[in-house]
Amino acid sequence: VYQVFESVAKKYDVMNDSMTLGIHRVWKDILVHKMNPSPGTLLLDVAGGTGDIAFRFINYVRAARERQLQQKLRHHQNLSWQEISESYQEDKSNSLGDSQVVVCDINKEMLKVGKQKAQHLGYSEGLSWVLGNAEELPFDDDKFDVYTIAFGIRNVTRIDLALQEAYRVLKPGGRFLCLEFSQVNNPLLSRLYDLYSFQVIPVLGEVIAGDWKSYQYLVESIRRFPPQEEFKAMIEDAGFFKVDYQNLNFGIVAIHSGFKL
Amino acid sequence: LRFPLSPPQRPLHASAVLRRISDERQKEPGAASSQFDSGPGPLPEQESRGPHPSYTGQGGQESEDFESEEQLQHRILTAALEFVPEHGWTAEAIAEGAKTLGLSSAAAGMFHSDGSELILHFVSQCNTKLSEMLEQEQKLVQLGEAEKKPMDQFLRDAVEARLRMLIPYIEKWPQALSILLLPHNIPSSLNLLTSMIDDIWHYAGDQSTDFNWYTRRAVLTGVYNTTELVMLQDSSPDFEDTWRFLENRVADVMNMGSTANQVQSTGEALVQGLMGAAVTVS
Repeated sequence: VYQVFESVAKKYDVMNDSMTLGIHRVWKDILVHKMNPSPGTLLLDVAGGTGDIAFRFINYVRAARERQLQQKLRHHQNLSWQEISESYQEDKSNSLGDSQVVVCDINKEMLKVGKQKAQHLGYSEGLSWVLGNAEELPFDDDKFDVYTIAFGIRNVTRIDLALQEAYRVLKPGGRFLCLEFSQVNNPLLSRLYDLYSFQVIPVLGEVIAGDWKSYQYLVESIRRFPPQEEFKAMIEDAGFFKVDYQNLNFGIVAIHSGFKL
Repeated sequence: LRFPLSPPQRPLHASAVLRRISDERQKEPGAASSQFDSGPGPLPEQESRGPHPSYTGQGGQESEDFESEEQLQHRILTAALEFVPEHGWTAEAIAEGAKTLGLSSAAAGMFHSDGSELILHFVSQCNTKLSEMLEQEQKLVQLGEAEKKPMDQFLRDAVEARLRMLIPYIEKWPQALSILLLPHNIPSSLNLLTSMIDDIWHYAGDQSTDFNWYTRRAVLTGVYNTTELVMLQDSSPDFEDTWRFLENRVADVMNMGSTANQVQSTGEALVQGLMGAAVTVS
């Protein structure tokens, strides 16, 4: 698995766009929207290598923070100028409202690409990059508000261990969110999807990234991943409550959500 | 989105918060575990795991020792009410409520992002309070400690009591009303409204089972809705204008009973109620 991603890292984003025809961006947007993070949230994005989820999280929280500040200003109509300027100062320096995201990935190359992207796009605040294994996270218990893993869990050898680790590092009340390829329930669409996956994707892999094998592996790992209900049961076994899933695009992708209660 | 609770075979030992709640209660100062008033029938031999924190005496579909997810959700929503005047009926208020219970703000993700559940929870709570109040009053009357009120007085007092519960949240109440009128909320909100009105008539001593029942229900609903709307726009001290309006409407109801246009009144009252709702939305 490590070597697959080593070779894939640099072209990862380009391949994502071409394989999913850009829809993966929408899926990731939906994931962050569903999360609806409030300022002050601590997010752990596992297998988040190139930072897609992390950047979206930061954007979302920044916008939410601005709205929050505007609300506050409206309430401050009858304070003295002194008080207003004081509160303005302390809020201005806190544009993210203490929100933070830790991006954890098993692969150094992916993290490197992610850091470069962050620098390029101008993300500096509230972002950390940590090398780590989803089956054995280098974090303490009860630390994070939200744990996300987008298109990463199918590459984990022991999914149950990853789920247990997710449970461990989440605070009570914390949320587990997983965005992953899943089973298509519509038979017609399923055939078209299979055709596309096995015929088109490896070819794209060869043409764009010069790597047929890795992309063949990716497609096969998608097929091997348990269907929605089974994965839901696995999440429940790890101890999560209120576990639910939402199918996107008829089941090509599903978002599973659970809470540590 | 109601999700069915997990089957009883789930390993509850994995729950972090649900059990923890009962542990925290165990640490409350000066309370012997056998004296916990945490609901009827706490079993003494389960002291080691903490007394049963349920409010209904039932443990839901899970084991009796732990509160169910639903009960936890109710506790979060109740805690969230405190933040409504500041944040409105929103996911932010729910997040703040969750934080006061020691949970992550991400727990607000359990609920719909438009705050529907919070409002429905509040309405349901108010209705329960009203029922309890009316029940108490009835007991006093039965024991001979209080006079039985004349019908118009009774209705006025009941509606006023129920509307007064809105006062702490009155600024954000229009927002709540418009959310309650959203299509996916209408079945629940209508249900809560009609059962509240039924309750009032029940305690008013209404025994009729003929078509008059529908008329009375519709009429009182109309009175309640219109008074609520008046209250939202009322700026008089302690809402005296509203209560005067209410007095007049209830007087109308009393007069209506003696006229022969029962059926027409039902239609009018229904229209009145719906118009009231439509006005609020627009």
